Amino acid sequence: MPIFMSTHSRQALVMIRTNLSSLPRRRAISASMALSVALVVCVLAGFLSMAKGFETALAGAGSPSVAVVLGGGTNQEAGSDIPAAVIRTLDAMTGDLGVIRDAGGKLLASREIVVPVDMRQVTDGASRTLALRGMDLAGPSIRDGVALSAGRIFASGALEIVVGDRLADEFGLGLGDVVRIGAVDWTVAGHFSAHGSAFESELWADLDAVRSAFDRQGQVQSLKLRLTGPASLTLLQDTLATITQVPLAAVSEADLYAAQSGRTASLIRLFGWPLALLMAVGAAAGALNTMMSSVSDRTVEIAAVRALGFSRLSAFLGTWIEAIVLAAAGVAVGLIASWLIFNGWQASTIGANNVRMAFQLAVTPDVLLTSGLLGLAIGILGGALPAIAAIRLPLTAALRTRG
Amino acid sequence: MTQGNEPYIALSGIKKAYRIGGEMIPIFSGLDLTIPRGDFVAVMGPSGSGKSTLLNMLAGIDRPDGGTLRIGTSHLDQMGEAARAAWRAHNMGIVFQFYNLLPMLTAAENVELPLLLKPLTRKERRLRVERVLDLVGLSGREKQYPALMSGGQQQRVGIARAIVSDPGLLLCDEPTGDLDRKSADEVLEMLRFLNRQLEKTIIMVTHDPQAALYARRTLHLDKGDFIEEKRAA
Repeated sequence: MPIFMSTHSRQALVMIRTNLSSLPRRRAISASMALSVALVVCVLAGFLSMAKGFETALAGAGSPSVAVVLGGGTNQEAGSDIPAAVIRTLDAMTGDLGVIRDAGGKLLASREIVVPVDMRQVTDGASRTLALRGMDLAGPSIRDGVALSAGRIFASGALEIVVGDRLADEFGLGLGDVVRIGAVDWTVAGHFSAHGSAFESELWADLDAVRSAFDRQGQVQSLKLRLTGPASLTLLQDTLATITQVPLAAVSEADLYAAQSGRTASLIRLFGWPLALLMAVGAAAGALNTMMSSVSDRTVEIAAVRALGFSRLSAFLGTWIEAIVLAAAGVAVGLIASWLIFNGWQASTIGANNVRMAFQLAVTPDVLLTSGLLGLAIGILGGALPAIAAIRLPLTAALRTRG
Repeated sequence: MTQGNEPYIALSGIKKAYRIGGEMIPIFSGLDLTIPRGDFVAVMGPSGSGKSTLLNMLAGIDRPDGGTLRIGTSHLDQMGEAARAAWRAHNMGIVFQFYNLLPMLTAAENVELPLLLKPLTRKERRLRVERVLDLVGLSGREKQYPALMSGGQQQRVGIARAIVSDPGLLLCDEPTGDLDRKSADEVLEMLRFLNRQLEKTIIMVTHDPQAALYARRTLHLDKGDFIEEKRAA
């Protein structure tokens, strides 16, 4: 262990200590700098946690082992249409399609349609557009990560719905409740959990019941198929290429939701980053002002210790570290506030099929890290110029000034 | 160390001018001065005569435009800023008119500052600080902050800070300019003690003729040159 700390380190430590100890003399302007950094951190963390929460909700919804077949040359369920003849053709194929078959040799598949429906929220009575998904009985079991949390699945042909946990809370849909959707009454048969993914923003019901309630007889917008494995998608795509009645596309469910989340998350970031950066420029100017004031406040002190033989480096470090410490305090406040305010905050947006999709803002470690680094950058950049000013102080003038 | 009978401080042909409003104003145009080791010199003169400029050059804070400036064996006129700062740290102490103590440090911590530039242990620094605070009559006030001290006490802390690293040279810039007569006399007695008993070479800039009486000799600067030199009684 070295007996002597280097004189440079000691000089720097003294300058840092004296600067930090004198902070109370500049309480208001120092606090305003820390707060402006905290605000920047909050804004960026807010937007990033929104994007992250949206991505998490959609990423959890997609499985690479589930194929989604869309027809009509679209890549979204809303505009897709798969003729019944195509489904019959697929059913009739006996070879290996890369899709799991049940004990009777039938493809493990679910024909589905999505109908936008309006429902009133319990909390504020406002009407929201939700997705009512009609599906075959195999639909829930094809999906990964979905489990009944209460009640049972809808019965075949019955006017029954199972509701995602998130919607059940938000819209007050208890088991056995009767709710009017469209022109008919539906009974809540069960609740399901999907680990907070986009599925939880949907109402699920029997395909035929939905088709008859909304006059969509015979319509199928998408076909969900349980693959034998993620690699089997290519085999399915090759098979679909042989069906020429209508253009068909098969994508993995994971890719479908990732594409949807990618667009919206990019949009959120597109707004978030410029706003945060603009605020960061303002905060950096504030930091510059604060630190210039700090240097001006300590002109005589800096000059005195430099006259005693302290190095320019120590004067630079003292001012620079003060700016970084203030920025770090702002970062800490900003991150704590972001965590308390945003993490788990329920948000919603218009997702695929023009229906509401609920998600939770997620203040994850990488969100905290990115926001924190931006806040620190404000201190590092905003403090550098005043630190240079500190080492360029004219000693001769400063030493004749009353301290 | 100065060799043989060479003066401790030697200024020869010193030139210095400042640019003010685009015009060069000469302060010194060939100033010569020698000071032997152990001298106590008071420098007097009207405002603008160059007293502070002289002190700043002797402290290595400012550099002459021409001529040579030697203190001991160090040629300050040939040294860069960093080298002059290091030289200051090891060879001289400065006493300021307004004390220039760091208000957030205690008396002992202020005195310790110059020692932080030397390779000393914490214990060695503490012992030296205690010794000089005792020497200037502030024993027991180690933990007191400058704001709670009188002007005279603060200046004594300033003197303790200037001598704690045991430099051969003390530069005092109006050390009593901010003090009442009684405190001023105490500080001047202290400086005389340091000169007579500890053989410090002291150069003191002052406007106060009574302060100058404590020095061994007084130099009067006017229009950039010494016009009178006399030995104090």
